[in-house]
Amino acid sequence: MKKSTSTLALAAAFGAIPAFGQTVDQKLQILQQEIDDLKAQTHKPAAASQQASPYSLDYGSMLDRSSALANGGTNIIGYGEVGYSKFRQSGDATADLQRFVFGFNHRFDERLTLHSEVEFEHAVVSKDDQGEAEIEQAWVNYKMSDAVNFKGGLFLIPLGILNETHEPPTYYGVQRNQVETRIIPTTWRELGVGMHGIVGEGFRYDAGVTTTFDSGKLDDPTTGMRSAHQEGQLANARNLAVYGALNYRRPGLLVGGGVFTGDTGQNGASNPALQGVAARFIMWDVHAQYRVAGLDLQALYAAGTLGDADKVTAATVAANLADPSVAAFAAPKSMKGWYAQAAYHVYKQGNFDVAPFIRYERIDIRQAEDPANNLFQDPNNNERIKTLGVNFWVHPQVVLKADIQRYATDKTQDRFDIGAGFMF
Amino acid sequence: MDSRARRSLALLTLVLGAASGYARGEVYQEPAAFVAEVFGSTPAPKVLWLTREIQAQAAAILGHAPAQLRQRYWSETRKSVWILEETGKEELITAGFVVVEGRIDHVRVLVYRESRGQEVRQGVFLKQFNDAKLAQGNRLDRDIDGIVGATLSVGAVERMARLALYFDRMSHG
Repeated sequence: MKKSTSTLALAAAFGAIPAFGQTVDQKLQILQQEIDDLKAQTHKPAAASQQASPYSLDYGSMLDRSSALANGGTNIIGYGEVGYSKFRQSGDATADLQRFVFGFNHRFDERLTLHSEVEFEHAVVSKDDQGEAEIEQAWVNYKMSDAVNFKGGLFLIPLGILNETHEPPTYYGVQRNQVETRIIPTTWRELGVGMHGIVGEGFRYDAGVTTTFDSGKLDDPTTGMRSAHQEGQLANARNLAVYGALNYRRPGLLVGGGVFTGDTGQNGASNPALQGVAARFIMWDVHAQYRVAGLDLQALYAAGTLGDADKVTAATVAANLADPSVAAFAAPKSMKGWYAQAAYHVYKQGNFDVAPFIRYERIDIRQAEDPANNLFQDPNNNERIKTLGVNFWVHPQVVLKADIQRYATDKTQDRFDIGAGFMF
Repeated sequence: MDSRARRSLALLTLVLGAASGYARGEVYQEPAAFVAEVFGSTPAPKVLWLTREIQAQAAAILGHAPAQLRQRYWSETRKSVWILEETGKEELITAGFVVVEGRIDHVRVLVYRESRGQEVRQGVFLKQFNDAKLAQGNRLDRDIDGIVGATLSVGAVERMARLALYFDRMSHG
């Protein structure tokens, strides 16, 4: 059967289709290569499913094929980054495999797909190490059309620029910007259902219902609401959130914004003192990116408020009284931040692309102080950060980076960084 | 069923009904229809045999070895059509390239399979390729502005454009 298939392929190649500009020897060489490949394939175990290529890889009746989509295919994607940081004040230095992420994406049929990412941070995960292993995304998408997609599972919230597009070759600097780390808690994901799609020429909308934060889990007010982030881990879901985002994209331009809101008290599931406390959290952002003639400009503003922040502060005091090992602190009541960034591609040759950049960031997190219990604003929550650096892409998907960062308030963070990142 | 539940069900039905009205899948145009549109009818296909040298150049353009050893194309007089496929982030993008005298006449994304990055099929993006030709090192003679969030899909369309121009050049011996 296989021989007859090869024979048919040979006959089709020589008989049905005219060929130009190449010698018979060259054609025979190519056919021999094809036969060798076919032989090799027949000896391969039927293991990993490979993506079908319905058109250009097929030498049969390409035009007779309908537009069958590649069903049943599973793809592997990934990205990662390593960095070295030398701190100016202490002289300390660290080298770290910041993250390695891989994902499996599977197509069930022409409309239904699965998307997943598994992340390992800091190289080693054990109870004695600081590494983490986590599912960053695991969601199913049902595509009715470009305009209408339904999704469900653990997915990224479409706020900011970095949260959804965070592969290292897509952003400047060894460290992710602090506004989209401390104000927008990138990589921010929730369990839920949503709709998204493209309408008109380049407008993308996103809307949905998801899990939300749990104020009872807050333990670090220097990162806004980040530490109350549940990440799909047995998330308390008495309170849910809604989100919406609208972005306009055209070549070289992105303008958009989004909003997320939901109560975070979770009826005291994590801290009984929050029973009956709504603690509504609202966060929104606007952002823009513009690329023209080698210049790459980007800016973002994000702001949020936590309702009942004084009650959340009181709940941390109650938790501290019940268990002195749990620290009390002033909960964040409002947070805002913005950054502006400019880069210029000074050298582009083949795959090589060199772009120095400068970024200025401003962070302002206000806390609900409780003077009676000596809980005050952390001065480091009012911060300005200047970053000067360069990205050197050795391939569009592999980047080397170096930068210098200067913090106006927390001088211990002043540093020199070098790093490398990749995606595939 | 209480009135609130009935309202929710009615809203869900309305949304799904409206959504199904939009349903048209990911195939924007059948490749056969694209070829027929370009030529007014479908000419007999021709084949470019990928010799070792052509394979090596194609690999340099794509960043990986070409999966095919022969590439079908359609041509009449000065015009050729190439239907090519390349992976964006996760899945293959199928695009049609019309080449006239060594320059891209126009490009169309025919099938897009991923759930994000569909902006690459928009005219405002694809127009950037019109009139492009190969420069030194089999690169395009111009920069193509990318789309935020669709970096890999943009790269895939650009690589296919370079490949179509290179294949066109090779098809003329």
